[in-house]
Amino acid sequence: MTEHLASFPYLSCMLLSPVVGLFILLFLKEHQRLAIRMVSLVAAGISFGLSIYTFVSYDKALGGLQFVEKYQWVKAFGITYFVGVEGMNAPLLLLTGIVIFTGVLTMWELQERVKEYFIFQLALVTGVFGVFMSYDMFFFFLFYEIAVVPMYILILIWGSTRKIYAAMKLTLYLMAGSGLIIPGILLLYSSSGLFTFNMLQLHAVQFSPWVQKLTFVLMYLGFGVLAGVWPFHTWSPVGHVAAPTAVSMLHAGVLMKLGSFAILRVAMYLCPQGFQYWAQFMGLLAATGIVYGVFVGLAQTDLKYVIGYSSVSHMGIVGLGLATGTVDGLNGAVFQMFAHGVMTALFFSAVGYIYDRTHTRDIHELGGFSKIMPVASAFFITAALCGAGVPGMASFWAELLVLIAAVKVFPIRGLFAIASLVIGALFALRVVQNTFFNEPNPKFTHFEDVSPFLGLPRMILIGFLIFFGLFPQVMVSMIKSSIVPFIQGM
Amino acid sequence: MLVFNQLETYLYLALILFAIGLYGVLARRNLIAVLISVELILNAAMINFMAFNRFVAPHPAVGQVIALFIMAVAAAEAAIGLSIIIAVYRKLKAINVEQATELRG
Amino acid sequence: MGFNIGSVDPLFLACFAIVALPALAFGTIMIFTWRRDNLSLGISLTCSTIPLILAWWLFFTVKGATLAEPIILQVNWMVSDAVVVPFGFHLDPVSLLMLVIVATISWLIQIYSIGYMEGDPGFARYYADLSLFGMAMLSLVSASGMVQLFISWELVGLASYLLIGFWYEKFSASEAGKKAFVVTRFGDIGFYMGLVFLLYFMKDISLFGLGIADINNIGLTQKLTEAQITLCALLIFCGVAGKSAQFPIHVWLPDAMEGPTPVSALLHSATMVAAGVYLMTRLFPFFAASATAMAVVLAISTITLILSSTIGMVARDIKQVWAYSTISQLGFMAMGLAAAGLAHGTLFAGYYHLTTHAAFKALLFLCAGVFIHHFGTNDFFVMSKDGGRKLMIPMVTVTIAALALAGIFPFSGFFSKELVLAQLWHLDNKLWVGLGLFGAFLTAYYTFRVIFVLLFPRPDDHPAWQTYYVREEVAGHGHGAHGHEEEEAHGSHGHGGHGDHHGVPWVMAFPLIVLAGFTLVLGFMQTRIEKFLLGESHPHELNYLLLVLAVGCALGGIGMAWLDWGRARANWSGFLSKFPMLENFFIQKWYMDHFWRWFLNTVIYGTFSRIFTYNDRRVVDGGVDAVALGTIGSGRLLSFIQTAFLQLNLLFMVLVLAGVGIYLLMGR
Repeated sequence: MTEHLASFPYLSCMLLSPVVGLFILLFLKEHQRLAIRMVSLVAAGISFGLSIYTFVSYDKALGGLQFVEKYQWVKAFGITYFVGVEGMNAPLLLLTGIVIFTGVLTMWELQERVKEYFIFQLALVTGVFGVFMSYDMFFFFLFYEIAVVPMYILILIWGSTRKIYAAMKLTLYLMAGSGLIIPGILLLYSSSGLFTFNMLQLHAVQFSPWVQKLTFVLMYLGFGVLAGVWPFHTWSPVGHVAAPTAVSMLHAGVLMKLGSFAILRVAMYLCPQGFQYWAQFMGLLAATGIVYGVFVGLAQTDLKYVIGYSSVSHMGIVGLGLATGTVDGLNGAVFQMFAHGVMTALFFSAVGYIYDRTHTRDIHELGGFSKIMPVASAFFITAALCGAGVPGMASFWAELLVLIAAVKVFPIRGLFAIASLVIGALFALRVVQNTFFNEPNPKFTHFEDVSPFLGLPRMILIGFLIFFGLFPQVMVSMIKSSIVPFIQGM
Repeated sequence: MLVFNQLETYLYLALILFAIGLYGVLARRNLIAVLISVELILNAAMINFMAFNRFVAPHPAVGQVIALFIMAVAAAEAAIGLSIIIAVYRKLKAINVEQATELRG
Repeated sequence: MGFNIGSVDPLFLACFAIVALPALAFGTIMIFTWRRDNLSLGISLTCSTIPLILAWWLFFTVKGATLAEPIILQVNWMVSDAVVVPFGFHLDPVSLLMLVIVATISWLIQIYSIGYMEGDPGFARYYADLSLFGMAMLSLVSASGMVQLFISWELVGLASYLLIGFWYEKFSASEAGKKAFVVTRFGDIGFYMGLVFLLYFMKDISLFGLGIADINNIGLTQKLTEAQITLCALLIFCGVAGKSAQFPIHVWLPDAMEGPTPVSALLHSATMVAAGVYLMTRLFPFFAASATAMAVVLAISTITLILSSTIGMVARDIKQVWAYSTISQLGFMAMGLAAAGLAHGTLFAGYYHLTTHAAFKALLFLCAGVFIHHFGTNDFFVMSKDGGRKLMIPMVTVTIAALALAGIFPFSGFFSKELVLAQLWHLDNKLWVGLGLFGAFLTAYYTFRVIFVLLFPRPDDHPAWQTYYVREEVAGHGHGAHGHEEEEAHGSHGHGGHGDHHGVPWVMAFPLIVLAGFTLVLGFMQTRIEKFLLGESHPHELNYLLLVLAVGCALGGIGMAWLDWGRARANWSGFLSKFPMLENFFIQKWYMDHFWRWFLNTVIYGTFSRIFTYNDRRVVDGGVDAVALGTIGSGRLLSFIQTAFLQLNLLFMVLVLAGVGIYLLMGR
């Protein structure tokens, strides 16, 4: 892959902006709420702006790795700080920017331990940015762990509904995943004989087939835990439910994508033969997850559980796309990562608004919310329709690409995935109807609707969903510019 | 006095001190006594360092520096140990090791 | 899509404007002007008038587009590797005619709704949804590729969901909206699978655009085996059945009456349900390539025809009757197309019936809307009692439309129904034409049941009312639940006050007159439309036997209705009451709703959903918790080592260290 050095360290700025914000927050006092929020917003805003900038100014015709920055860190072990942007991670950086920016706006009303909250949230997002842009396996894993740890604290302190159980479960699951990943990374590192963690150099090495097979399955399962691959998904609905709003947004919107992106970026990229060997297995797990997620979601009564299981199903689509190993499938998978990220962020953002006021998420208790909060309901319904795969929204295209590619490679599994779409529609509309179109619960009639300021983050999310729904080519051509060489290199 | 001018004497001395200290640590039930016994063990080690410095490696700095370090460590250890003992005393109204059984499985 | 306007084909631009303007109206109203009714109305009307003009302009000016050689204008919408999705327009006589129909009817309905929806709190939202509906349907009609068609198809479903559930405060309305969306979605999945299978069989990656022209050529080029075509055609027909409410997934359509009446008119004439039959017409050469598929379609549509006609005979909500008549007429159209496919005929008969039906069915619903608006009830017996026949314009126009529906000369329905029956006549098996005639008879019967009841009101002490009240209790379990709902929803929005002044506002009367005009004229345009569509007009040899049979059936139906409902001594019980079992079966709508309810509750929720949830809680999570508990338990087991006797531990440590030290020293 050709590398084009950056004229200005955009990526480092994107990465460091939350870190700087975090350090400024450390020196603020808890009661300076407005200052705390503004600092977080500015820090997130800079990252958001830079992520848009890199997305827009990435030269698709030139291709390769752009905005590259490379500094040697530990020479003896071959560790370099090596970041860059290509077609497949630019959308995910953009996604992270969107979600963190809207996430800070969504948590504007937080009253409890505001300072600590934003510190941990910025720390979390630093890790996420780092994973998406790193091309050095050491840094990749380092940032991966940085992203996971603050989650524990965020859920434990600001969470709700069985938060201790959820935080513990989530952390243990992810640690178990890491326990599989480290041997995988070290196996590649040691068997390459190059003493480098640089992924591009490791990619050039022809590992022996058994190393590839073993490493691939270790990494697939390890990263798959974070990606919510069936049957390692049960931490995710529980975690979504327990986490505070913006953390759920980050968690379902971005963190789960870390797992699937890592499968693509590390596991498939470095072990192509391992991937060929395990592709059928991946496809099977993914298709099971798709069907399974919608059915379980159908029986839930907690709004966040419903969304949590829809995430399992949608992440199954990502997995299925990856398993096809074709250009269309991978395009669709990366597109779906983006689309699902924005969509679930919208979902959780809308639910969070309602929950903050009513303190319940039971769909039978909520009933008739569209009368009380028409705008908040509209946000949720938009997300639900997007989740049901209605055209005109970004996720329709992603699903289309994945399903077409999947039917070519795995006809039966593909058909099951398509058939689950109808359940997906039932699933989304059932929730919408019970929650929003029913007799209003008199307990809640005094609540006010979303103010324009709080509506802003939701509007941003909807805007992105519809923009990429109408102009999918913007996204697809971007992803494709790196997927095509990726497949050729496999 | 030839006896004081050879390595073995000091090693035996250190051994005796160490043995006394070890016995104290293992046998005494009073926490203060245990702490004092630990000091004895440290002193035994220090004597060893000084003796080796004097007879085997006569470079002046090495052994003596480590002896100084051990003193510092001993002081720190005594401070921490005593504070733990005080905490134990506050909780149990006693400083007997046998009564500190909270961690029984 | 950054293209320079000057360099673009004006034809493309015109088509694009037709599709984009309503979409623009939807977006603008939803985001900016949803609090301002009049502004929204203005935007919506502007954005439907321009497409109307453009559609007529295209209809008259586009030359040289034939069925075999359509004009295709397209740009790439999305290019992935093998998946290339074009965005564009497929102009041929079929799509041009349908564009005109859709644009005209949706425009008329927007006009009509000014009066009907006046004062409704969701007025702006209503117009936004109507615009979305119009946009989706126009895009569906003109789409150049199957993916674009599918997208529009889904958007039509979405818009219908929004409009049927428009009065969302009512649980039954949102329930009906959900039902419509999910049931049609059920069919759409078949459609989706059909498309994917088609691709899978074609193996020709360059075809991925799935252009409509390409699919229609499949039958000619014989790339696929007959079995493959049959499979794909049947799967695609699932989508048709969902949208066009064919048996067994027709159940959403009667419930869709929960929406405002103009919406029902739109839904039933030119948009939602027409989309299914339109798709069949669109892909007619492809469907016709498989005789098996056509036979199945014929059977299904015939069942639909009979089923819905029989239910229509016992419904007492005027909108329900029209809804079932729509289903039966859709069955008719599908029969016409299927028979043509079997007998190597042309798509003209079915498509022509679609055209005429669009006009008279919109008229029927709009008239029903006037009555409902005026009297605040859906029950046509009550309307009759309150003096329904005093409303001149709607009464005349509804009679015209009913005559057309029943197939009486010289109204448009006569000509198109005649053609469909002629197609059926060509089949070897005369059973189909017999059933078709029977359907025509039933259609005439239930249509004129409504008309006679409306035309000849009974005094309050007439014995017929006895029967009516007894019946109401019987029917209470079936469709009676729908009886007065629109009235409630409507009444609550301040429409009750309209009961006082008689006469119909011009915005509501004007569309009625225009549509009545179409109903009268379209029949005589037969040869012209045929020439426009097919490029040539086949002289029809008149089959006098069939003609007599058809007219006989229609007149027989009307006569029967007269005996049962019209004449002064009729006691409004209907000949069906002689067969109570049968009547109850019809009132319960052949138990189809019960079946689907059972299917949903038992199979989907009760079985799969429960098993998977149980699995998730017990097996998957249980496994994880078992690991955690195992760790804790083993910790407990081993904890006996921890005696809490500090010095014992120390002794142990010393011994071990000493042992290690001795070992190391000895080992050297």
